[in-house]
Amino acid sequence: MRTVDLFDNYLEGKLNAQELAAFELRASSDPVFQKAFEEHKTLVGILNASNERQVLKNKLKHIHSVEFGKEAKIISINKPEKLTKRIGKTFMVAASAAVIAVISTIALLSTGGYLLEKQDIKITDLGLEVAGLKSSQNAIVRKLNSKEDKPFAAANLEGSAFALNNSGYVITSWHMVNGADSIFIQNSTTERALTKIIFNDPALDIAVLKIENEEVSKAWQVPFTFNAKSAEVGEEVYTLGYPRQDVVYGEGSLSSLSGYSNDTAMYQVSIPVNPGNSGGPVLDSQGNIIGVIRGKLTTAEGTGFAVKSTQIIRSINSVEGETVKSELILNNTKSSLKKLKRSEQIKRINPYVFNVLVYKNN
Amino acid sequence: MLKPKVNFTDNDFVEGLKVGDDLVLKALYKKYYNLVLKLVVSNNGSSEAAQDVYQETIIILYEKCQDPEFKLSCQLQTYVYSVARNLWLKHLKKHGKTGELKEYHQDVFEDASSDTKTHLKKEESIDKVFKSLEELGEPCASLIKDFYIKKMNMEEISEKFGYTNADNAKNQKYKCLQRLKRLYFDNFTIVD
Repeated sequence: MRTVDLFDNYLEGKLNAQELAAFELRASSDPVFQKAFEEHKTLVGILNASNERQVLKNKLKHIHSVEFGKEAKIISINKPEKLTKRIGKTFMVAASAAVIAVISTIALLSTGGYLLEKQDIKITDLGLEVAGLKSSQNAIVRKLNSKEDKPFAAANLEGSAFALNNSGYVITSWHMVNGADSIFIQNSTTERALTKIIFNDPALDIAVLKIENEEVSKAWQVPFTFNAKSAEVGEEVYTLGYPRQDVVYGEGSLSSLSGYSNDTAMYQVSIPVNPGNSGGPVLDSQGNIIGVIRGKLTTAEGTGFAVKSTQIIRSINSVEGETVKSELILNNTKSSLKKLKRSEQIKRINPYVFNVLVYKNN
Repeated sequence: MLKPKVNFTDNDFVEGLKVGDDLVLKALYKKYYNLVLKLVVSNNGSSEAAQDVYQETIIILYEKCQDPEFKLSCQLQTYVYSVARNLWLKHLKKHGKTGELKEYHQDVFEDASSDTKTHLKKEESIDKVFKSLEELGEPCASLIKDFYIKKMNMEEISEKFGYTNADNAKNQKYKCLQRLKRLYFDNFTIVD
């Protein structure tokens, strides 16, 4: 038997009385043996301790999520209401977002006697609403249209969206366009275009908009497809969105196959996302859409959540009503981005990622 | 639904942790979370940081309770607060933020700082072992973990790793362990 095995047997209490006596005698008379044993014991002790700590940690995490689990909440990543001009906007947006985050935590803390109030962000109604929701042309919008050379009034909310297919349909976050009077999209190649809501799934927090003027999408050739398969943890992913006036690229990796509060309809991504990223696409390295940015954790930076493409496909395919169904087709031409460099991919994708401007009447 | 109202005393908690009673652990966790949350959040921390600090605090208390000699020499609340406070002060210091702490408990148990230190030292050695394991690479790292952490026996290990017999697996384990010791200890003592 090797000395190391002897050490193991001693530590596990497997030695009989005679062996034990021999062991102890040697340990007390042979300093090299003793030192080697001490080292062995230390190392094995650490391995055991690490395991015990891990087991306990998991237990505590579980207790925490059962007892206090819903305290952390997702904030929607649309921009806060804004009263400033474009100039200085980035700063203002960043500043106001910070203020909102701080206030919400403190506000919650003070209401619950420092216990963060349980927040349930899940939308309970899982029913799909298929409707041409009214996008009434309110006064502001009419004024805007009539004076096209004048700068536009600031939108109440801004976010991101991207093309669903070649027929002028775009997808975005429902929380952004919910309750809107009018919704415009724009980017560097597409001028401000009015859209209406065609479809929404509040449970997934997605909405599909259609550009009213069919001329706008006439030459569209959407380069990406929706990935019908689940993405893998660790995959490189990136997003394009409009946290400010210009499109902004952000990259990271897929951190988890479930999102906030273990929601399996979402992915967790380590992409730094900011107000304005909501509704933007999450793409894999081959340029397939794997999700739509939905929100991020208020309590941790770099923890974004995206609605899975597989869920979106399921949701959109479940739409009833022939007219809507015939139009609501996800782009299924083969992705033409697969072999392109990232920068080339982005060049091709950019025309199909939009800044969404939402106007509310009150 | 009516639930029996259970009021644990400090001693109940300590005894419960000693025997690993999960109900006691849960009740304890619930009891002082708000205190630690308050401490961390009002001293520059997020609620997530508070959660980490609190869980580490409970681990320290739990491990202290595993020592049969351990006796609380202050109120449990004071102990929990003091440990959490030490951990949070350490965190703030590490991030270059010092200054007056907003306090939420009137007394602090000074001896708690040595418990915190011991804990962090142990955490460091755990990190070091795992770093060494990583350096060791596969299959050695898994072999060591399977034997010493998962407590698999040599027959199971031999089967899992495809060794011809248990003796062969034992031989591999020996070699891996020697390498691990060489990585972990500055001067490791060779016997055999």
